[in-house]
Amino acid sequence: MRLTRRQFVAGGAAALGAAGIYELVDRFATTPDRASARVLPSEQHVLGRPQVIVDNGVEVVVPPLHHEVVTASLKVGETPEALREARETLSATLRELDARYEPAPKGLSISLGWGLPYFTRYVPRLAEEHLPVDLRASESEGRQVRAVIDAIRFPSDPDDLILEDNDVAIFLRSDSRDSIAEATGALFDEAKGLFSLTSIRRGFAGGGFDGSQSLPKQMAMAAGIGGAELIPDTAELFLGFTSTQKAGLGPPGIANFETLPGYTDQFPSGYFLGGTAMHLSHLFEDVEAWYLNFDFPERVATTFKPGLDVEDGTQTVPQDADDADSSKAVEEEAKRHKAVGHSSVMQPASRLQADLTGNDGILYPKGTAVPQRADFNTLDNPFFWSARPGVDGQSEAPAAGLHFVVFTPTSDDFHRTRLAMDGFLPDGTSIPLHPRSRAQGFNSILQTTHRQNFLVPPRRNRSFPLSELL
Amino acid sequence: MNRALPWAVAVALALIAATFSLAGCSGENSATANPPQTTQAAAPTCPAPLARGWQRLADQIDAAVYCPSWLPDPLIGRIGGQWEGIHSVTPERSYLIGFIWFERGAGEVHVNLRGYPGQTKIPTCNGKPCFSGPNGSKQVAGRDVDVYTVNRGADTWHVLYAWKDDGSLYTVSQHVVPELGLSYSKVVESLDRIMGGLVKVEPQQS
Repeated sequence: MRLTRRQFVAGGAAALGAAGIYELVDRFATTPDRASARVLPSEQHVLGRPQVIVDNGVEVVVPPLHHEVVTASLKVGETPEALREARETLSATLRELDARYEPAPKGLSISLGWGLPYFTRYVPRLAEEHLPVDLRASESEGRQVRAVIDAIRFPSDPDDLILEDNDVAIFLRSDSRDSIAEATGALFDEAKGLFSLTSIRRGFAGGGFDGSQSLPKQMAMAAGIGGAELIPDTAELFLGFTSTQKAGLGPPGIANFETLPGYTDQFPSGYFLGGTAMHLSHLFEDVEAWYLNFDFPERVATTFKPGLDVEDGTQTVPQDADDADSSKAVEEEAKRHKAVGHSSVMQPASRLQADLTGNDGILYPKGTAVPQRADFNTLDNPFFWSARPGVDGQSEAPAAGLHFVVFTPTSDDFHRTRLAMDGFLPDGTSIPLHPRSRAQGFNSILQTTHRQNFLVPPRRNRSFPLSELL
Repeated sequence: MNRALPWAVAVALALIAATFSLAGCSGENSATANPPQTTQAAAPTCPAPLARGWQRLADQIDAAVYCPSWLPDPLIGRIGGQWEGIHSVTPERSYLIGFIWFERGAGEVHVNLRGYPGQTKIPTCNGKPCFSGPNGSKQVAGRDVDVYTVNRGADTWHVLYAWKDDGSLYTVSQHVVPELGLSYSKVVESLDRIMGGLVKVEPQQS
């Protein structure tokens, strides 16, 4: 069955109710067996109790099946009264949804991220006073740097990359598409007059860890994606390897502004304590190029690191803290193999380089991952729906890609990791490869289209943050 | 990496194609050179306009070669004809014959046929196997074929079928060009049909 996404309608509100090709996720996937989690975390970005399974001897977090990000600009007036009304309306809607659903993956998790345009336009003075300060970046740059800063263009990004300026991004995760649809229906009810939608972005995640054909494989086949036949049957993602190894994901709380000492000024207190920085981007993945130009040993070397001895066909490769590479190790690998792996080249930035006791009292061992990735595969091209189809390059033809969502203690922390992916390591080491070289991880098969950074407040301040102080 | 041919090769092939086009009022056309459609009842034959070139190649290397009685449109498997873009015979008697239609910006239809007389081991390209990414084996047109998806050199971006016959290795491959509707699965269909139309041509002199 080959499908197109020709279900688009003129308005974003109507598009929210249209499942399109993603309806197949429910048909293809078996809902994982999930434990209940009744307590809502104080953080918006932390999920309930994700299922953890063991694959190839490695603990793997099973992510929610359905993912959706809706971006919007605000229709709210700039007066304190208008903001108060808007805040109360949104808060009430969110409270209702919290009461109706337990956290994802079994229930529904909603993370509201606020773009810098919101703070600049609505609460500029309060933002100046309360936005978290990135202590590391401030020290290295010799000036005050906020913990959430504008997204930047990275060396491997294409020239036509769009740096977005949305007021808000709402990230929804659940095993149930219906739950997401109900939530977006309530949040973006036009009668409430809060949001003017700018984009809808959808996708899925889920492996065939039980031996059945995975969602990415089935969805790619249904959409007629080039090279879909070559995706391993049980692959968690289009590119054929598991990416949710528990050891490769930041533990709950580590990405909070205040957890890691020396990262921001939000400890011991701060308006945004319990909050985090979120990066949202979309990228195309050339699945056909991946499988027609890289054989299995090359795909392992490119994804993880050169010289890694992995049995043919393995999908889940250990990513333990002990295995994390330092800058020196990456530099030596690059010299020896004239190539670096996607995972290993980022580890000098994405993993703790020494044991660290967090402000939460937890000892985080050397090699612990900091970013909490929440990326998911998509067939959007580049979005499910766009308010500016000409600007965004919107197309009806399905395209293999990834909506990359990651939570980090600061935007700069993400930028450091992303620069490392292009060969610019945090200690100043520069890997002598072109950022889009075939030897520079799997950059050569990726093409990023959009980027933006957001601030995700703690749950208590998630609705129009700072506006109550006006 | 570029989905299309490298720039320099592309230009060279375009020139070759243009040269053949200009010279090519050779009387060859689809009506005369295209063989009749293969049917289940009849074994394929190497059409007369093609047979001479393949026979000459078999004689030159003193080993059997495979004449493609069917190639995807617009290609015709005539050695020295309009669509031959690559013709290479090594001192070791291995051959590479490539047929290509190429148009800048549009893409290409590109099929390579190779033979390695007296050798069944996969050759190496810059220290790596020229054919890798094994993707199973199957029987096509009575031959046991190994499928390779990651190939190098002139077969980069191609899906390749390899089979062994009488102590020799033979391959046929086709370029994946989604822009032309030649996705992986379409190329596999095409290769199946090419295999069904291959005709073994034995050398006539030793």
